[in-house]
Amino acid sequence: MKTLLSGRTNTSAAPFACSVVAIATMTLLGGCTPKYYVQQGPCPTCEPAPKSYVVLIPSPDGTVGEVVVKGEKGEQTLKNAGQAALVDGQALQIDDKQIKQDFGSTMAALPTIPVRFVLNFSSGITLSPASAALLPKIIAEAEARPAVDVTVTGHTDTLQTFEYNEKLGLRRATRVADQLRQQGLKANSLSIESDGERNPLVPTPDNTFEPKNRRVEVSVR
Amino acid sequence: MLRVAVIAFLFLWGNAMANELAIGHVKNVSGDAFVTTGGKKTKADIGSPIQQGSVLETGKKSSMGVIFKDETVMSFGADTVFTVDEYSYAPAEKKLKFGSKLAKGSLNYVSGVIEKLKPDAVTVGTPSGVIGVRGTQFLLRVEE
Repeated sequence: MKTLLSGRTNTSAAPFACSVVAIATMTLLGGCTPKYYVQQGPCPTCEPAPKSYVVLIPSPDGTVGEVVVKGEKGEQTLKNAGQAALVDGQALQIDDKQIKQDFGSTMAALPTIPVRFVLNFSSGITLSPASAALLPKIIAEAEARPAVDVTVTGHTDTLQTFEYNEKLGLRRATRVADQLRQQGLKANSLSIESDGERNPLVPTPDNTFEPKNRRVEVSVR
Repeated sequence: MLRVAVIAFLFLWGNAMANELAIGHVKNVSGDAFVTTGGKKTKADIGSPIQQGSVLETGKKSSMGVIFKDETVMSFGADTVFTVDEYSYAPAEKKLKFGSKLAKGSLNYVSGVIEKLKPDAVTVGTPSGVIGVRGTQFLLRVEE
C-alpha cells in the first residue's frame, strides 16, 4: 500500500498506482465515486480511499461529544456526527458507504454498553425499599453480559469522621454485594470498594447530613 | 504432594494477582486475538484480564471487544495492534488518566467515566498524531 502514498511524489510509480486504485475502488464500491476524498494523489477521476482517519459518531445515549485530532499536517476539532479527519490532522469528507466498509466488522464486535445503578439507604447499611427492589434488575443486566464484571462502591455523607466513613462505605458495599450474591449474581469479577466521604454526589461541607451521598454505586459491565 | 500444593497455590495466587491488577477484560473474540502483558503473550478469551501496559492484537478476519473498569468500551477489527500505555481510575483520589495507542488496525471507541470526570484525560495516539477524546463515540482506522 506504500505505493499509493509514494505515487504523489514518485512520477514513475504514479500510473501503476493509479490503475491499481481504480480497479480496487471499482471492485469494492461497484463504481468510481470521486466525491469522498481530499484532493491528493495522481488519479484525476478516481481518488484512493483514505487510509488512516477518524470519524465522530453519536454516543449510545444519543449525545455527540468532541474529538480533537492533532497531527503532522494540522489540527481538527470534530463536533458533529459524521464529521471526519485524517489522523495527520487534515479535514476529510467521507460517505457512509466507506465507513460501513471500513468499520462494519469492528462495530459488530462492540460489547453491550455497561450500566450503572445508584442505590440509596434508609438507615445505616439497610437499603431503601425502592433500591432493594432494583437488585433483581441488576442481576438481570449482569446475566445479559458475557463474563460480566461488577464493581460495588460504597459512599457516605460527611457526618462522622473520615475514617469512620471509609469503613461505613465498605460495610454498605459489602452488604449490597452479599445481597446480590444471595439473589444469584454470578460474575467474572466482583470488586467491593469504598470511597467513604471522598466522592460525594452532592458536594457539601464537613459534618453535613445528605441522603443523596449515602449510597452504593453498582457498575455492571 | 507438597510440591503440587505449592504449584496450585502459585497458580491461584497468579490468577488473583492478574485480577487484582486488571483494568479491563475481554468480552468477545472472533478468530485470533491476543493479550500481551509483561512480555507474556496469551490467546485472548472471554474474561481475559487486561492490565496497564497490555498490548491487544487481532489477526486477519478477526475481532475483539473489551470493557475497562471505568466503563470505556472498545472493539477492534482485523489486523489491529492497540497498547494501553497509562490507565488510572480512582475518582476519590482524583487520579484519572487513559493514554493509549493504535499502531494499526481499526477501533470503535465509546467513552467511559474517566472523561466525564476529567475532560482531556483521555488520548489515543496514532503513528502520525494524537486524538483527544471528550465524551463520545468514534471510529478510528490506522493503516500502515
